[in-house]
Amino acid sequence: MTSLMPLTTVFPGLVWLMAALALVQGLRRAALWRVGAAAPVAWLDGLAKLPRRYLVDVHHVVARNAYASRMHAVVAGGLLAASILTALAILPPIAGFRPYWLVVALAFGVTAIGSLLVGARRYPEKQKRLSAGRFQILPFLLVAYAVGGTATALLLALGVGGVFAPLALALAAAGGLGLAFEVRHGPMRHAAAGALHLVAHPRPGRFEGRPDTALQPLDLDAPRLGSEMPADFTWNRLLSYDACVSCGRCEIACPAFAAGQPLNPKKLIQDLVAGLSPAEPAYAGNPYPGGRAGEGERGPLARLIGPDARIHPDTLWSCTTCRACVEECPMMIEHVDAVVSLRRHETLERGALPEKAVGPVTELRQAGEPGGRPLAARTDFAAGLDLPLMAGRERAAVLLWLGEGAYDLRYGRTLRALVRLLREAGVDFAVLGPEERDTGDLARRLGDEATFQALARENVATLRKYRFERIVTADPHALHALRNEYPAFGGRFAVIHHTAFLLELIRGGKLNPGRLPDLAVTYHDPCYLARYNGETEAPRAVLDAIGVARSEMARSGRRAMCCGGGGGAPVSDVPGERRIPDLRMAQAAETGAGIVAVACPSCTAMLEGVPDRRAEIRDVAELLLQAVEAGR
Amino acid sequence: MIANADALLKPLTIKGLTIRNRVMSTSHAPGYGRDGKPQERYQLYHAEKARGGIGLTMFGGSSSVAPDSPAAPWNQISVADDAVIPFFRQFSDRVHAHGGKLMIQLTHMGRRTKWDTEHWLPTVSPSPRREPASRTIPKEMEEEDIARIVKSFAEAARRCREGGLDGCEVSAAHGHLIDQFWSPSVNQRTDKYGGSLENRMRFGIEVLEAMRAEAGDDYVIGIRMSGDEMIADGLSQEDCVAIASEYARRGLVDFLNILGGQARDHIAHAISLPNMSFPVAPFLFLPSAIKREVDVPVFHAQRVTDLATAARAVAEGHVDMVAMTRAHIADPHLVKKLSEGRADDIRQCVGAGYCIDRIYVGGDALCIQNAATGREATMPHEIRKADLRRRVVVIGAGPGGLEAARVCAERGHAVVLFEKSGQAGGQIGLASKAGWREAMSGITRWLVAQVTKLGVDLRLNTEATEAAVLAERPDVVIVATGGTPFRGHAKGASEHAVTTAEVLSGAVEPTGSVLLYDEMGQHNASSVAELLAKRGCLVEIATHDRMIAEEVGTTNQPIHLRELYKLGVVMSPNMELIEIYPEGNRFVAALRNTMTDAEEERVVDRIVVDHGTLPVDGLYRALKGASINRGQTDQDALIRGEPQPYDLAKGYALYRIGDAVAGRNIHAAIYDALRLCKDI
Repeated sequence: MTSLMPLTTVFPGLVWLMAALALVQGLRRAALWRVGAAAPVAWLDGLAKLPRRYLVDVHHVVARNAYASRMHAVVAGGLLAASILTALAILPPIAGFRPYWLVVALAFGVTAIGSLLVGARRYPEKQKRLSAGRFQILPFLLVAYAVGGTATALLLALGVGGVFAPLALALAAAGGLGLAFEVRHGPMRHAAAGALHLVAHPRPGRFEGRPDTALQPLDLDAPRLGSEMPADFTWNRLLSYDACVSCGRCEIACPAFAAGQPLNPKKLIQDLVAGLSPAEPAYAGNPYPGGRAGEGERGPLARLIGPDARIHPDTLWSCTTCRACVEECPMMIEHVDAVVSLRRHETLERGALPEKAVGPVTELRQAGEPGGRPLAARTDFAAGLDLPLMAGRERAAVLLWLGEGAYDLRYGRTLRALVRLLREAGVDFAVLGPEERDTGDLARRLGDEATFQALARENVATLRKYRFERIVTADPHALHALRNEYPAFGGRFAVIHHTAFLLELIRGGKLNPGRLPDLAVTYHDPCYLARYNGETEAPRAVLDAIGVARSEMARSGRRAMCCGGGGGAPVSDVPGERRIPDLRMAQAAETGAGIVAVACPSCTAMLEGVPDRRAEIRDVAELLLQAVEAGR
Repeated sequence: MIANADALLKPLTIKGLTIRNRVMSTSHAPGYGRDGKPQERYQLYHAEKARGGIGLTMFGGSSSVAPDSPAAPWNQISVADDAVIPFFRQFSDRVHAHGGKLMIQLTHMGRRTKWDTEHWLPTVSPSPRREPASRTIPKEMEEEDIARIVKSFAEAARRCREGGLDGCEVSAAHGHLIDQFWSPSVNQRTDKYGGSLENRMRFGIEVLEAMRAEAGDDYVIGIRMSGDEMIADGLSQEDCVAIASEYARRGLVDFLNILGGQARDHIAHAISLPNMSFPVAPFLFLPSAIKREVDVPVFHAQRVTDLATAARAVAEGHVDMVAMTRAHIADPHLVKKLSEGRADDIRQCVGAGYCIDRIYVGGDALCIQNAATGREATMPHEIRKADLRRRVVVIGAGPGGLEAARVCAERGHAVVLFEKSGQAGGQIGLASKAGWREAMSGITRWLVAQVTKLGVDLRLNTEATEAAVLAERPDVVIVATGGTPFRGHAKGASEHAVTTAEVLSGAVEPTGSVLLYDEMGQHNASSVAELLAKRGCLVEIATHDRMIAEEVGTTNQPIHLRELYKLGVVMSPNMELIEIYPEGNRFVAALRNTMTDAEEERVVDRIVVDHGTLPVDGLYRALKGASINRGQTDQDALIRGEPQPYDLAKGYALYRIGDAVAGRNIHAAIYDALRLCKDI
């Protein structure tokens, strides 16, 4: 037995050595995060909630892909169990208990099966969304560690030794140390950084069951505004980018990528990762569409954005801030925050807004409205409807926020329908009229935080003059700003989307719509309603209440595809190979529905602008009004 | 969406009165007044426009303020006493209910009216010069007359305000009393009301000042006036700009409603109400010139038939509001369709002038292509769905058949529409081949677009036989096979005459000398005469009537006559064609003077006749026997606007409409179709 004694020590020792190596590699990487700015982190709270965040929130995202979910459960669970069990065997009483090694062997065996599942995604042919590079050797390292570990544990369990033991141990060591080595630059970094990211997440609110989607206000007196280089991000943001496992789910979800615009969220995050260290291995995933190389200077102080930098400005301005990437990311990375932070620097420090966006943002700053139109003209759409003004009455149950759509000829139809419904239901409402300024959403998404904050303060001051119970708006972008972003500027208002409000009116018996069974409708979720505010049910419930034949698009609810109208993308207007709304309408056409129901002025404008479309674009309010009229 | 549509859909505020968009209908006289009051028919006609989204609708063209400007002869409105106020209240409630604004035109017509009607009072004018159009010699106004009429205007303005109307305009256009004072072609006075422009403006100033004093300065009062009288001794463009500027500067008017020309005789009248021979918006430069000089809003109407032109006029700043009066007669829901993104559904005015031509012969205004206009109490502008889906077969895609197919499809029925030829439109296709009548094709274009959109199974190049119709297992069959041109009763006509239809279709291409004999007095013969003359033929047009194109109305007939004179066409009224016979390669036509019975002969290369059409009714007769109603339309039910009393469970009902019954006109065919099909 003496010949076996070293193996029961050496094998656990190997795992301890792996742990030490992983720690060293991890710390080498972590040292880079320290260039980032300080960030408040609730460490104890984060640590306590880590298991839940991992097992519930992460799993919720991972489980959308059943194969990936099973694969990860088996391989990660097996790897963790086998390694811990083996590490514990450093204690002689355990090491000497042979049945224990049978359990260890079983754990390694499970890992081996998982490793094969990992390999099957990459061989013989790699799934398109996955990155190659060092990820391609991951299955081999896993198989080596798992098979070597299984064999070693079995030998220990059976008490046999001989020439097999060193061979098995060598295989396990090769695989195991390889995995540990990969913690710095390779695939295994996601595990270490991912776990830490869940603890120190910059948006802990998203794990509390509420949408934590408001952009954080920027201190305009800070010496540097926004992010120019990796060092400008907070350290836990840098950590979060390192959590990226290059799975490419974001890339599949990204509307700009689909349209062939030069944005790939995975590559963007990987460029932030790579920017941090010149030693980072080359990116091996799909490039930014458009064929640009995307190389440039690296290092914590290297500029990230520029025609010659790693990230071309067109990439930055292609983002619609739709959050589809965030929604799909199993590592809980906040891509949109990164985009806006980079945009803030471009806009506020460099004045480098996209050429076509300069006009609207300037008008916003000077006229309080991106088209430079008189604020009093916002109610032109309702001439003849005699909209009650807040100024004339000081109080109303409902303040109707009109938004930018009020200036649009097409969208005026929606607002007129909404006003008629409010009248029909006897709702006591009023509008701000010429006192309503733009919420500043466009400026904020384009990085012009200064203009946004000025508008927010003016609007908050106006709103606080009047007494009302709730704000109703048909514009999800306004809703998001008013509900989620204005509290930071002292404006706390109850804000409700018109679809949710109309549903209340129907359920309260204030509106009695007839049924429209002849209409085949598919509902397109606005990003700022579904993903930013979690509201997917109310509009559907309204449609169901009017009895239309409703079908769902392949992508719907929180996973719906953007219309292309958010984040200033329509004014930035970065060319692609296709147009996002065309893609979305093609998806709508697959349902065969003759009507695409919308609930947002941007979606209305974008989708109605699609040439050769076969479906009508109708706001939920317009359909409801039709039903109410049919029910008379 | 048309360019600049947003310019039309912006509100306009005048003295606290907010008009919801820039589209209006000017005051006109549709002949719907009863007892001098705007009663139900009149009110519903304007309420429909308000329902259709119009910003401002003005009614009561030439509504009179005093008994010596009688209202009754043209079924117009009298604002000369308080009895009209309750009607105004009901009227304004009806229009306001739909968010529209309502104003009226007030006037005293001076010499431009009749003395031999209603109260038998002499007409009055600044000077006793006869007007060719009205043919009256007026009494020269004394200062007492002036004071009396100024007071009448003021009291009328008060009645408008008390009736809840949103404002009023005074008419100083088309040669009414105020512009009779302005125009040196009428005003020969030597007192303080005549001579200098300043003096000639005085009467109008006194009228407006009195109205303001009586109705209150916050009441919206405007003026309708010409931007250029376009006659040698009349008001020049400079005069009109000066008058408009002065009245606006004095704060007398809250808006200026500008048009071009005047109406003292037939051709002037036709020019001031431009028909389809004119380009669109021919006089837009006149309000545009005035708008540069004044601070008050400027309105304008004159053949703005399409929204693209209207939007351009407003967007480019030529006018503040654009009036689409005839355009609203064709489609009162024009603004609603624009704002709902359904501009393609707008039934566009073609400028046929059918509406206005009817009122000058004492009729009521009706639209050549929209049979619901002016009949709002009984005819729907929006067709309601039927409870039961029927199978309807319509034969013939002329205006009647197209309208029948459209209305039945709107009702939700399955409609098959047979058309023998390769083109829909029937005789409209022929009419629109004649020179300036080309715009007639707009009637067909809209109907075809609608039936296509509504999913009507339109089968061109398909002759409907009895078997083909019955193969569709129809519940209702509508025969709209139209008419075939008739060569007339003159001896030899059936062998030797050709018809205007054959000329227009191109089946016959006359050359050399042509005698065109017309028994219809309609557009057909005149427009063919013009066409042939332009092609180089030597044309004589003879007619049984006292004048060429006698049945053509006052906005169209002068244009025909102008063109025929210019082309040297010989016009021979009071002639009857009695015989045609060949002589060599030519023909001899024997004509008889209807007054003297004297006979004359013409030797010409070609004789073209227009005797209207006789029904094409072969298919009708074939289908009649098996139909449940033996092809009869129950006239009582039709007139009452009720469904036809036949039980379709027993078989198919057969109806005949339009020229397939008897040769009439486009409106008759369309009305036949609408009133029958709205209840199918």
